[in-house]
Amino acid sequence: MSHHYLRFERVSYRYPDAHEALHDISFELRHGEKAAVVGVNGAGKSTLLLHTDGLLLPTSGRIVVGGVPITKRTLPLIRRTVGYVFQQPDDQLFMPTVGEDVAFGPANMGLDEAEIDRRVVEALTAVGAESLRDRSPAHLSGGQKKRVAIATVLAMGPSVLVMDEPTAALDPQARRQLIDLIRGFSHTTLIATHDMALVRELCTRVLVLHRGMLAADGPADEILSNHARLAACGLE
Amino acid sequence: MRARLTQALYRLDELERADRCATPLHRLDGRAKLTVTAVYLVVMLSVPLTRLSELLLFALYPVVTAAVGGFRYGALLRQSLVVVPFVAFVGLFNLFQAREPLFYIGPMPVSVGWTMFVSLLLRGLLSVQALLLLVRTTGYYRICRSLQQVGVPELFTTQLLFVHRYLCVLLRESLALAMARDARSFGRRNYPLRTWGTLICQLLLRTFDRAARIGQAMAARGFTGRIPELPGTRTAWRTADTLYAAGWSLLLVGLRFVGPERIFHLPTP
Repeated sequence: MSHHYLRFERVSYRYPDAHEALHDISFELRHGEKAAVVGVNGAGKSTLLLHTDGLLLPTSGRIVVGGVPITKRTLPLIRRTVGYVFQQPDDQLFMPTVGEDVAFGPANMGLDEAEIDRRVVEALTAVGAESLRDRSPAHLSGGQKKRVAIATVLAMGPSVLVMDEPTAALDPQARRQLIDLIRGFSHTTLIATHDMALVRELCTRVLVLHRGMLAADGPADEILSNHARLAACGLE
Repeated sequence: MRARLTQALYRLDELERADRCATPLHRLDGRAKLTVTAVYLVVMLSVPLTRLSELLLFALYPVVTAAVGGFRYGALLRQSLVVVPFVAFVGLFNLFQAREPLFYIGPMPVSVGWTMFVSLLLRGLLSVQALLLLVRTTGYYRICRSLQQVGVPELFTTQLLFVHRYLCVLLRESLALAMARDARSFGRRNYPLRTWGTLICQLLLRTFDRAARIGQAMAARGFTGRIPELPGTRTAWRTADTLYAAGWSLLLVGLRFVGPERIFHLPTP
């Protein structure tokens, strides 16, 4: 998988209660690109993100990550390639200590102990959380939990990073630290967020979702300056 | 209620981190401790219900293990008392069925039923103590991992691990719900049954959602059902493990077949 791109080809998804959360979504995220998915609550942002890691499979259409289509058979490979950071770090951190939580992904990849240990140290250092290694995730602050949650996916060495509301419920200082951290990543990154200031700072491209459809897709400056279009999609 | 929920959460967290203590018992391989616990339970539960004195000998294992593991036996005993109401309910019928005297304490006859009742209580307490010691010296994750290593199907070990995780989720969500209720109840404690029903439904729905999200997070990091070995939790099987497993197993089997009568030269009942 040498090309770290993410491509949605006419993807639709219908929940079991017949609600169509995504309708005919097509876009391609190029190698190293940082893009934001914006939209009001219920627009389909989280559903779209869950598709990038094969946690939901499309009802129709297909998704390709670095040349590999997402199917049940390719899921192990896809999950090594796409690192998914969940909105609630409490859902993502489930092991007794931070170190074990970060080691969980690499251990599932079947790596040897020395390599797992190296990755844990590297990932925790990358997010500035090396001192938290032996702490219980349950006893960390919101900002620390977010950083550790990011470390858990960095340890798997992903090519594509997907983040659901990374700055939600963070205080200004923790939010600033997180934005600076994400800015330093060279990964292809897709971020679902309501935080427009974060979008302006980090993303070169914006996808606007409205009622499960891709209402706009283009350079961040252009999309964010089109107030009439944003207002029509319930954004400001 | 909130204080009790918080306390239960902390106790669960403490149990999970239990294997990080530094006594030689904690450092033993989980499989060795699992073997000894299994042998202990089988041998102890095979003692006939009426042979109380023989059963009492088996208190040796939890008392010694607690001392070696750095735990107070009194605290362990207190924790194990939780099983008493359940076992007492099961054993209650023995009191009415078997009334013939088995032995005398001074002039007072002790019936077969009473002996069986006390024996059942003792078995319940000793079983729970042995399991508590296993969890507190090994940690829940390592027990599930050890079970997997000795050949228990992944389906069972994963379910066991998830039951523990679900318990944590249930407690956290209960705590959140209790806080939300208390914030708007202005000291009121009693609610109609209908309100309690709604609260429990809410709790179940919230825990299902949360459990589904945790499941997704695990899948996103490559979890396919096999509990992975993590650095720091890996223990190679050593001579000490063989000695521990073999030593206790032989002693326990020996106690079962030799019995207190031969050890202390007592008359056989």
